[in-house]
Amino acid sequence: MPQSTDPAATRVQLRLPASTAYVSLARTAAAAIAARLDYPVDRIDDLRLAVDEACALVIADAPPDSVIECEFSVTGDALRAEISSPSRSGGTPSHNSFAWTVLSALVDDVDALISTEDRLVIVLSMHGFEVAHLDEPA
Amino acid sequence: MSVPTTGVRDRAFERELLVHLAQLRSSDDPGERREAERLRADLIRLHLPLVEHLVRRFLDRGEPHDDLVQVGTIGLINAIDRFDPDRGVEFSTYATPTIVGEIKRHFRDRGWAVRVPRRLQELRGALTKANETLSHDLGRAPTVAELARKLDITEDEVLEGLESASAYATVSLDGGFDDPDSASVADTLGIDDEALALVEDRATLRPLLEALPERERRIVMLRFFNNLTQSQIAEEMGISQMHVSRLLARSLVKLRHGLTDPDHA
Repeated sequence: MPQSTDPAATRVQLRLPASTAYVSLARTAAAAIAARLDYPVDRIDDLRLAVDEACALVIADAPPDSVIECEFSVTGDALRAEISSPSRSGGTPSHNSFAWTVLSALVDDVDALISTEDRLVIVLSMHGFEVAHLDEPA
Repeated sequence: MSVPTTGVRDRAFERELLVHLAQLRSSDDPGERREAERLRADLIRLHLPLVEHLVRRFLDRGEPHDDLVQVGTIGLINAIDRFDPDRGVEFSTYATPTIVGEIKRHFRDRGWAVRVPRRLQELRGALTKANETLSHDLGRAPTVAELARKLDITEDEVLEGLESASAYATVSLDGGFDDPDSASVADTLGIDDEALALVEDRATLRPLLEALPERERRIVMLRFFNNLTQSQIAEEMGISQMHVSRLLARSLVKLRHGLTDPDHA
């Protein structure tokens, strides 16, 4: 669930053309932030994959020549990434889609919403050490 | 494809076809314009082995063979459309840079580096080893800071190395395949219908999953449907976590491609 903006959070913002050619910048930024938070490398790789997937989702729904906004905010060891771009469809991805399955497996929490400016926003939340799935049978 | 593309006689024949195409194209007669379309298609087919030949240089860089053939063919079509037989250059000489250029652009567009410097290749090797040792000692994957300390390098260097080790970089993914004797839980996992049952695009997804190489498919199922961590999968399959990450990224690109563009499936 998107929280109201936490004033104590450290924020990193990135604006990129909505094109796959620039997605690597978002991945790299996310990885660098997670490394600062001392996430284990397998979690960092998960985050990279999740950012990639989220960017692909918003790009697929973005009109040509639009801009992706990525905002990373850090509170304690919690990392929250909001990835958004203008939306053509005005809808959010289905929670039963494969993309959603992938995102849910990669991060602790994922949400999608349409902002008041008609942007599709994908929100990823993560903690350093994965605890969510440990009690589930593998 | 049995159409010959080399040899002096074929070159002469090919040249004739290209000259003929140029004539037909400038004609006002609709019949001849249609003939030009047909001849153009023939010429494309005739030169597919050239695309195939050039694609071979770019295999093992994490992109599916068929995708490379597809973009290479776009280069070929452009070359056929722009070729001017009066210039006196061989068609293959003219077409090669166009085709290669298209393939390289494809790699660039996907954020793939076409070349990884030697320094990074060595760093990658060292990181894989340190990652394994530390994972073993700590019982979890190490952090970037821990890897930096272990290798006596900066955290930025570790990040750079990890980045270059991900699927977005040029790596050979061959070799080090599963030991056939190591039967494990993972080995018994086919495509689990129960796991897929909730995914609404499963009708499209299933054939795409089936088209993945066995090992990639297993990793995708274990990570996304069985919720094993990358490190658990690495242990399960006897490969490094970095390799798991690489294969996951590669599989996701393929699946995403197929899901968003049904013609690719």
